[in-house]
Amino acid sequence: MTDSTLPARTTQNMATGLALVALVEIAGAAFLRQFLLVDDWRAVIGLLALFGGALVAMQRLPVIEANIERAFADNRRFAVLLGMAIVLAFPFVLGNSTYALHLLIIAQLYAVLALALNFQLGSANIPNFATGASYGIGAYASALLALNWDVSFWLALPASAVVATIFGFLLGIPSMRTRDSYLALVTIAFGVVVHQLLNNLEFTGGPNGLVGIPAPELFGHSFASPLVIFGHSLPSQANFYYLSALLVGVSILFAGRLHHSRIGLAWNALRADELAARCQGINATWYKVLAFAVDAFLAGFAGTIYAFYVGFISPDNFTFLVSVTIMTMVIAGGMDNTLGVIVGAFLLTLLPEKLRAFSDYRILFFGITVIAFLMIRPQGIFPQRLRRYGG
Amino acid sequence: MSQAVLLEGQNLTMRFGGLVAMAEVDFSLHRGEVLGIIGPNGAGKSTLLNIITGLYVPSSGEVRLEGEVLNGQPAHRIVAKGIARTFQSSRLFADLSVLDNVIIGRHTHMKTGVFDAIFNRRKADAELDAAAELAERLLKAVSRELYAQRHRPAGELPQADRRRLEIARALASEPKVLLLDEPSSGMDDFDTDALMDDIRAVCAERPELALMIIEHDMRLIAALPQRVLVLDYGQKLAEGTYEEVRLIPRVQEAYLGRKGAQHAQA
Repeated sequence: MTDSTLPARTTQNMATGLALVALVEIAGAAFLRQFLLVDDWRAVIGLLALFGGALVAMQRLPVIEANIERAFADNRRFAVLLGMAIVLAFPFVLGNSTYALHLLIIAQLYAVLALALNFQLGSANIPNFATGASYGIGAYASALLALNWDVSFWLALPASAVVATIFGFLLGIPSMRTRDSYLALVTIAFGVVVHQLLNNLEFTGGPNGLVGIPAPELFGHSFASPLVIFGHSLPSQANFYYLSALLVGVSILFAGRLHHSRIGLAWNALRADELAARCQGINATWYKVLAFAVDAFLAGFAGTIYAFYVGFISPDNFTFLVSVTIMTMVIAGGMDNTLGVIVGAFLLTLLPEKLRAFSDYRILFFGITVIAFLMIRPQGIFPQRLRRYGG
Repeated sequence: MSQAVLLEGQNLTMRFGGLVAMAEVDFSLHRGEVLGIIGPNGAGKSTLLNIITGLYVPSSGEVRLEGEVLNGQPAHRIVAKGIARTFQSSRLFADLSVLDNVIIGRHTHMKTGVFDAIFNRRKADAELDAAAELAERLLKAVSRELYAQRHRPAGELPQADRRRLEIARALASEPKVLLLDEPSSGMDDFDTDALMDDIRAVCAERPELALMIIEHDMRLIAALPQRVLVLDYGQKLAEGTYEEVRLIPRVQEAYLGRKGAQHAQA
């Protein structure tokens, strides 16, 4: 290269890219913090309007979105490291609000559930209404292990995921005899059956559920006690915040790796045209059952953390409505887009809480907000992207 | 044909309830041969393709590839054995990129499972990158224009490029037999000529590859296949070179109607 301006230009490009990544991530985190801590209904409306405005800007000027996307693609390592730093530091800027931390934990668990369902609904277009049931199976399996056999949380976590996966297979196999709306009906029936069983069986505690699930311990530190870092004491919820954040991280990793592999491609092919997919050598039945199993596996993890976090579970935590909510998160956030699904999960978890100011009209406003965002971005807040190869 | 028989069908019959879509049809395809299949609408041409590719299980009869019986095996396994196809109404994965479409065509040559995809990233990436590289080479060979559009969603391509992409996707599985279902449907003469050149180029590059082409366009049928098989009402009406077949009165009748056939012979 004889052109001496070229290196200068690339360093400048890199600097703007880094700055853009930092700006977007910090602005996103600041927005989330304000939204978590806000109480006044006017401020809630203001923040929602701000978010809506950002979406309108992205929709009207695709250049903005393209630039942000390129900056993140070019500086992936930096984006990931900064994101991790923000997640680690986040509890410290919440002013010891246990409520905000609680909301974050629930939002993160739902993010995992939405990512789990995204393998099916987003990647392979399988309308599975039983993610809530898998979540429940994971929660009950781990709670029963802990209560009856004193199994520790760290053992119950993988064990319950395996149990949920087995049930996922059991649901997946009969579902393969049906498709589309009929498939949806089979999964709804499965969810209802699981709920009814939990409600009526003796060993699951019936409608009273299971109580007194012990808090996990790690190296002698109980998750029920406050977390002290560098002399700074965080509420006990912070333990579960970090745990669920870790699970979100693992789920993102899983999602990305599966998406960018032969398996993700096969799922996408099935979504686009099942017959053509079979004629490319894709075993449709196997890949669909696999999607059920992966969904149940992650949902089982989320269920375990939930059970040990709240310490008490009942069948009403895992109703059909939970599955519908998870499905809405995937659709509103953006099918087959990891970031979109997570934003959808946070939005749909936090919105009903923040709209409590409207008391009786809460659900109405919830519906209006979701519809408004979908009108701005019909493909979901962050729609699916085409794959890129070789950098 | 001195070459060995690659794919053959014997006594193929397909009944849907009371309807007989195909009755006792025999066919054979040799290595490196191009076989044309013609016949009026509803003659059973697509039924034959669906039987060969495992989408239908024949009511009786056998399909054999290099002596191995195929019927009863699921469609995805038949692809792995070396039979690829395109569709009459092109069935691309419209919301995926052109390149992804061809990579999916490599499915049977890839091995990554869930475990490798998540925990053995180096292996999964190497395999996917190799598939992407091969897909790019294939696209380039089939059509430069298509290659230039490889990062666009397949659904945005014009009709002629969709057909090319379908052929490239089918070739990605490195088949021994390629079945084309009305490749020129919806194309004008200019595009059909280009398509014929493409098919010739594909054959020239792969002398072993056997082709079966269902077609209505007689220009293509006259030019490409060495042999033509005529189907009507699910039965084999005639078989031979295009020159032989076109003179048979019953073939003319099937195509032109009785009166038209009389005119043609007059």
